[in-house]
Amino acid sequence: MARRFLTAEDVRRAGGREIVVEADTVVTPQALEVAQAAGITIRTGAGAYSEPPPDRGPDAATDSRTLPQRPEPMVDSALGPGLVVTAVGKNRPGVLAEITSALGQYGASVIDISQKSVAEYFHVVVTVELLGGGSFDELKQVLECLGGEDDYIVRVMHERVFRFMHRI
Amino acid sequence: MPFTDQEILETVRMIELETLDIRTTTLGISLLDCADPDLESTCEKVYAKIVHHARNLVEVADGIAGDYGVPIVNKRIAVTPIALVAAASGARDLAPLARAMDAAAKEVGVDFIGGFSAYVHKGFTNADDALFHSIPHALAETEHVCASVSLATTRSGVNMDATARFSQVILDTAVLTAGEGGLGCAKLVCFCNPVEDNPFVAGAHIAIGEPETVLNVGVSGPGVVRSAIERLGPDVDLLAVAETIKRTAFKVTRMGELVGREAAQRLGTCFGIVDVSLAPTPAVGDSVSDILELIGVDRTGAPGTTAAVALLTDAVKKGGAMASSSVGGLSGAFIPVSEDEGMIRAVRDGALSLAKLEAMTTVCSVGLDMVAVPGDTPVATLTGIIADEMAIGMVNSKTTAVRIIPVPGKGPGETVEWGGLLGTAIVQDPGRFSCEVLHRRGGRVPAPIQSFRN
Repeated sequence: MARRFLTAEDVRRAGGREIVVEADTVVTPQALEVAQAAGITIRTGAGAYSEPPPDRGPDAATDSRTLPQRPEPMVDSALGPGLVVTAVGKNRPGVLAEITSALGQYGASVIDISQKSVAEYFHVVVTVELLGGGSFDELKQVLECLGGEDDYIVRVMHERVFRFMHRI
Repeated sequence: MPFTDQEILETVRMIELETLDIRTTTLGISLLDCADPDLESTCEKVYAKIVHHARNLVEVADGIAGDYGVPIVNKRIAVTPIALVAAASGARDLAPLARAMDAAAKEVGVDFIGGFSAYVHKGFTNADDALFHSIPHALAETEHVCASVSLATTRSGVNMDATARFSQVILDTAVLTAGEGGLGCAKLVCFCNPVEDNPFVAGAHIAIGEPETVLNVGVSGPGVVRSAIERLGPDVDLLAVAETIKRTAFKVTRMGELVGREAAQRLGTCFGIVDVSLAPTPAVGDSVSDILELIGVDRTGAPGTTAAVALLTDAVKKGGAMASSSVGGLSGAFIPVSEDEGMIRAVRDGALSLAKLEAMTTVCSVGLDMVAVPGDTPVATLTGIIADEMAIGMVNSKTTAVRIIPVPGKGPGETVEWGGLLGTAIVQDPGRFSCEVLHRRGGRVPAPIQSFRN
């Protein structure tokens, strides 16, 4: 009989030297403790027991197939795995150079760039494409450490966020 | 350029300055297969199953927040109403199950787990009875567990016996958590027409009819709506206000749709719903009350407030419905008192009475939420307050809820600090007239004529 769980009580009741469970049975931590204390081996037909991957249920398989088929908002121009980098703050020489050199260092190619200054403040919006080998996490961390509280602040977001918010 | 600067800066502003966030990613887990004749074994299974499924929930949510640059504030778990899971055990004390849920929540690093729940809108099973009996000490003994009960539906009426019992449960919970200002009651809510896929606590749970596991998302953003109306100014008409709220809600919901799809795929589970609810926090600017005042009332609670809430709730729902086919949950506007700085100010200024709050709940998306009353409020008065709210939900075929906290040792007008997200409350006066006879009668308020819809 297929068993969803093996509990401490199940182990006590089973006795013997070993218990064979199905590959997808979840053995509770208490059952593992009791088995260990009593010198009982818990194993599957294929070998030693290890926690199975979660069985998310019959609908999950359908959803994993159909979710990617749901229409996504489109943009006019094709863009690879893109990021949108924004920097806002006090203007000073070298700001743009700092941002673009960090981008270059982490394999990000600039698709579009725009900068505006009003009085002593500026904002820069850079759309970039991550080329092969570029790491999103590293790039994001480096960029967001640029500037500072009294200088300028950089934010990095995935272009998909903008697509979902501003396109139908 | 695929996006204009204006579009990009609008999104960045929403997140950086207007506290737009994904308020919660809530993983629903069915615990029906954990039922066991032995309560201890049930607890083991409940703990094992929750941990088994939610082990990587926090990691996945944090990963999405990092990859997309979108803040995801809370990660939570909702489970099958525990009375259903515990029924096979025949146990009278279900607190061990609450402890198992609490331990699992700690293990996987979520802040709350909802589902210590029972549906009793028409009557009690033995397990429901045990759950009611167990709620006060279960909430006092645990940190992360939230309890909810269904006391009424449009189809079945208001179960007044259950309402009276629930009022006593509230008082007992307040006494057992008196050291923290009755805070246990902040994790306890009752519903009329409960939402069965609600991702928000304290009412989060996964009812029967839901899949084995499901990922639901709650998005918020009162600050975004507030700023949009502020920019609009006081001279445009209400159609323009509604249109602005709708457009803003659309954008906020889209972000929820994106995160929901992504989180479900990364977890390998179903994407359930996006709940677009303006849920305030005590942070400055993150207030639903501010929105109502910008729409045009001097203080929340002033004449015109109910109309303003109606406009706001409806526009949020419409914007959300256009943005996602999966909009569900409670979607609309929450009006919790203690969690919203503007609501507290309105109570302090004498603008917002309990009676006006009740009127507002007829058109908001939930009900009386985070309302403090004196610790010595008679049980019959609590029954009356809850019954009124349940009746509103029943007759209007809407979800209503009551999360009320009798603060031990405090009287009307006194302040209680709960801290964190729960904020500050001023104890409100329920009045000196009660409803002892109504409370004692018990029985059921029959289902209204509009329940006959087939």
